[in-house]
Amino acid sequence: MPLSRSLKSLSRSLAMGSAILLGACATEPGSNDPVEGLNRGVFAVNRAVDTVVLRPVAWTYREAVPDPFKDRLRDFLNNLKTPVVLANDLMQGNMDRAGVTFERFWINSILGIGGLVDIASSIGIPRHSEDFGQTLATWGVGEGPYIVLPLLGPSNPRDTVGLVVDFALDPLTWILPASGNQEWGYARLGTDIVDARSRVIKVTDDLEKNSVDYYATMRSLYRQRRAAEISNGKAPMPTGMEGQPSYPGQKTDE
Amino acid sequence: MTSRRHALGLAFAASVAGLLPKLAFAADISGESKAFVENMGRECIAAITNQAIPEADRRAKFRELLLAGFDVPAIGRFVLGRYWRVATDAQKQEFLKLFEAMILKTYADRFRDYAGEQFNVIGSRSEGDDHAMVQSRIIRPAGEPINIEWRVLKPKGQLKIVDVIVEGVSMSSTQQEDYASGIQRGGGDLEPFLAELRQRYGS
Repeated sequence: MPLSRSLKSLSRSLAMGSAILLGACATEPGSNDPVEGLNRGVFAVNRAVDTVVLRPVAWTYREAVPDPFKDRLRDFLNNLKTPVVLANDLMQGNMDRAGVTFERFWINSILGIGGLVDIASSIGIPRHSEDFGQTLATWGVGEGPYIVLPLLGPSNPRDTVGLVVDFALDPLTWILPASGNQEWGYARLGTDIVDARSRVIKVTDDLEKNSVDYYATMRSLYRQRRAAEISNGKAPMPTGMEGQPSYPGQKTDE
Repeated sequence: MTSRRHALGLAFAASVAGLLPKLAFAADISGESKAFVENMGRECIAAITNQAIPEADRRAKFRELLLAGFDVPAIGRFVLGRYWRVATDAQKQEFLKLFEAMILKTYADRFRDYAGEQFNVIGSRSEGDDHAMVQSRIIRPAGEPINIEWRVLKPKGQLKIVDVIVEGVSMSSTQQEDYASGIQRGGGDLEPFLAELRQRYGS
């Protein structure tokens, strides 16, 4: 019927018109960012906190602390994460990787003096990381919309649930408060964050400097990184947007 | 190695089907690309760190190597995404010029940053007739190694790098998303975007 058809096209042009008006907030197709406005707000706050607090502390840590000390600390922190990695290896049904994780824990905790030295890596048993977000992905849970968490940064609903579950899976979450040593938990968290930040300062500075839209760069980076982690390094070919090439020079039927 | 046995088995079957020439060609591009990336890496690092020649000459040599080894126009077209089709010829030209300047500056900085560290090409595989992926690793004195993949195409009989994938993150895809968002926030018009690039990379 002509009336309903013209109503449909009217509503479509209204929708397009308002999309153009909201131009700055309209999301790029394929970026999976329906709450972009909100995300950008949180991202801006996170960036401010990083500029004022985290990056300076991490920078000082990087410059002032000798490498061997930093390496021991990083090895120790990685070793503490083993129970969570092991649990996720098992939940993903990856017996080989679980075996490696288990082996590493004993080698590093005993020969590596309580995890201070990553001996396992130097004898050819490399570390891999796993988390519940990745486990959910292997169980078929899709990423969901991109969201930026306050302070924690880029994430998505699945990975956020992953963070919470991993926190609960970590034995130290329960052991430390129970033995009255909560401060160690905070100390561990703080050191972990500062050390991790210090190791990527060069990379984030580079990306920030060379981005036209740093927010969009980080969004793209996060989603690609997660896809790579989930596939354990066998990252699938990036999917182009609707008939667009997935990589430069790809032959399309244009 | 079992993979070699698999390959031989495949080759036998293929030769029966008369496909052997095609397979041999695919194996060629994999080996060729591996050597190509190895050379590029070595020469670029040497060019950028060669203290014996003045800075300007170093940059010129690096530029020559980069433009020969990377398919900069193809990468630029990809990075601009769907906005390439709506750009005027003048805009296309200017964008490619600025994009080239951006690539040179960015990669010169990056090569310089990582020059002191070990760059090893560890493998390659073919993805098609004129398409290969080369795996490499940067070994750092402190911290874990960085895995970098290079996408190599052979558009006109010459090997060209079209993408650098660091720990699973494609530089071209990331930049495409960055630029698309930047252009859109300027209202979908290329002019403010080109002005921004002009400011950053224009001579």
